[in-house]
Amino acid sequence: MKTKFLAAALCAAILAVGCSSGSSSSGTGGSTAGSTASTSGKTFKIVMIAKSTSNPVFPVAEQGAKDAAKEESKRTGDNIVIDWETPADEDAQLQANYINQAVTSGANCILISCSDASKLTSAINHAVDSGVPVMCFDSDDAASKRFAYYGTNDTHQGTQIMDELGKYMKGTGTVAILAGNQNAPNLQARVKAVQAEAAAKFPNIKFVPVAYHVETPDDATKKVIEYMHAYPNITGWAMVGGWPLFAKGLLTTLDPKKVVVVAGDALPAELEYVDKGIAPALVAQPVYDWGYQSVKLIVQSQIEHKQIQAYNEMVNPIVTKGNLHDWAEKLKSWGMTGIDPKFLDPNYGKTK
Amino acid sequence: MTTSGNENKTKPAKQPRKSFLKAKSPKDPKGAPRKPKPAKQGKSIFRVVFGVPEVSLVIIILIMGFILAKFGGTHTDFQTGRSVSNFLNTGSIFNLLENTSYFAIMAVGSCAVIVTAGIDLSVGSIDCLAGVVTAIVLQKMVGAHMTGSAEMVLVALAVCLGVGLLCGVLNGLATVILDVHPFVITLGTLWILRGLAFIVTRAQSIGMPQQVINFTQSSLGLHGGVQPIPVIVMIVISIFGWIYMAKTPAGRRIYAVGGNLEASRYSGIPVSKVLVGVYVLSGLTAGIAAFLSTSVYGAAASSDATGYELYVIAATVVGGTSLLGGRGSAIGAVLGALVIEMIRESISILHLDSNYQQIIVGLAIIVAVVIDRAGANMRQKQMVMEQAKAREGAATPAS
Repeated sequence: MKTKFLAAALCAAILAVGCSSGSSSSGTGGSTAGSTASTSGKTFKIVMIAKSTSNPVFPVAEQGAKDAAKEESKRTGDNIVIDWETPADEDAQLQANYINQAVTSGANCILISCSDASKLTSAINHAVDSGVPVMCFDSDDAASKRFAYYGTNDTHQGTQIMDELGKYMKGTGTVAILAGNQNAPNLQARVKAVQAEAAAKFPNIKFVPVAYHVETPDDATKKVIEYMHAYPNITGWAMVGGWPLFAKGLLTTLDPKKVVVVAGDALPAELEYVDKGIAPALVAQPVYDWGYQSVKLIVQSQIEHKQIQAYNEMVNPIVTKGNLHDWAEKLKSWGMTGIDPKFLDPNYGKTK
Repeated sequence: MTTSGNENKTKPAKQPRKSFLKAKSPKDPKGAPRKPKPAKQGKSIFRVVFGVPEVSLVIIILIMGFILAKFGGTHTDFQTGRSVSNFLNTGSIFNLLENTSYFAIMAVGSCAVIVTAGIDLSVGSIDCLAGVVTAIVLQKMVGAHMTGSAEMVLVALAVCLGVGLLCGVLNGLATVILDVHPFVITLGTLWILRGLAFIVTRAQSIGMPQQVINFTQSSLGLHGGVQPIPVIVMIVISIFGWIYMAKTPAGRRIYAVGGNLEASRYSGIPVSKVLVGVYVLSGLTAGIAAFLSTSVYGAAASSDATGYELYVIAATVVGGTSLLGGRGSAIGAVLGALVIEMIRESISILHLDSNYQQIIVGLAIIVAVVIDRAGANMRQKQMVMEQAKAREGAATPAS
């Protein structure tokens, strides 16, 4: 009996350890204002549900959201807190559970990137019907009752990727599309846009089957290597997300003289690929703004009750060796780490 | 033989008991078994209650519930304006039970498998395949204008159960006929079935018809936006599972096979049939979970239920089922699933950093199993002590 209660106390202690490691913006004691019409000085809790914590773009979005929450708290006088509830791996069912939990625990707003919109529509609508507004970022659920979306126009980004790739491939060759999670509607839209742009502007470019994979750097790297062995005639990669470039595996595997890569995203680890010429262009997503701009929009809409657009498109800059230094500086300003100091050197790119 | 004062001093405790027994039960042969005094009856009720394996889990659940209620904070309900506990409210409790139900239902089937010292790693894939096949069939029905609600619900259930049954038969027969360890067989079917789901869906997410969604999302007249059907199904399955395994001859054979395979074979138990049967049960429960989850969440995709087999097995083991076979219960498996889901939800209710969720869940599962094993060891020791005392009482000669 003593052992049982001792172990139960140990269980409580483990939870207490988790408490002490909790993020500062998670709030204290969970007391929030449950109404969407938050008045000055009250707590406004935004539950942020990204696709997975194993994809490095989402922690950056979390940081952007928290920074915006701090700024807006100072400006409005309200205590705006970000409650980060994201599964370790992509799981739309788990995301739906998080939405339901957010509703029953008094969230004032939910901010979500949908792993599978068709599985989340019901939960999002239930949240909205229960008085909790929902906004989407990165991956939208336009069929739901969400009040706004902030993120990439996926069709536009797919078009940009193919435009850059076709330019560097001089309009000919064999292309593989690296596409991540096959159930993600945003990624599917980018893939279709890549194919459509190629058909319209680069008819001499051929495609091998689309490569889907688990959205981790290791799995993506393995998929690229597997395809390079299976299809040795590949001369170009259209990566609708930057997953394999978050790791260093392809730096020694891909020969820039034989294969051209154009990818989405431009996180610190990817800059080396631009420098080496393996990926001469990256169609960047300012992923920090997923969180930063989304929280700003939520405050405008839900606290200040201003009119905002339902669809808010993010601009995707093209990162090349020419503006690599400027982009590195921007990443640093967002609080990102792991940026090679050579890219932060003001003389980078000017010595040759 | 005359008794000396020393003998009286050495055996003061037993003499009064013997004389008491002889006086109280003159008809008892050789003075055994002993009837306890009223004070001991209270103690044995305590032992009876805590001798039930599932009680340890209930204690854990109650402790966790207390912690969540005490430290989970409150919010203002936007409809009533009253302060409401973040955990102890109808919506939260029902959410918890509903989220538990899918794993719990599969855990009942998994329990039967693990009691035979087997394992089924393919339950997540069976769930996925059953869901996507059902969604495809229902979409065809919509295309053929066969859109009656009852019709669609029955077809959905039948297809889910049918796919689960077929997959279970496949696992069972492969295990028995090929004589390969079920870990290997079900590891293979985990990949095969998931691959089949990917091919039939062509990587698309397939929506479920609204008629079926309305059925499982029905509130049955309850308020607060709750969806009780998955919870009701979980309760029914757990009761049937417990009755089947603990109270029927077919169920008892499962324990016999798990306890000692060779002895069961020599006793005339149809071991092969029992083994195939448990994998069929596992497949059927995965099919039921698929029906509920795809209709509640509204769509099926080839990535559904990825990794769920680990949660299901963890729930079964936390619930007291021994991986070595011969021990376990359906009720325990369901309670184990509830423990794991409470641990997972406590991370958000207590505002813990969700980046630590895997560490916290893993550690807490180990603690929950330790608590349960401690209870099992205590019960084992008590049983041994009582048997020893009973033997002592029988062996002590009458004076």
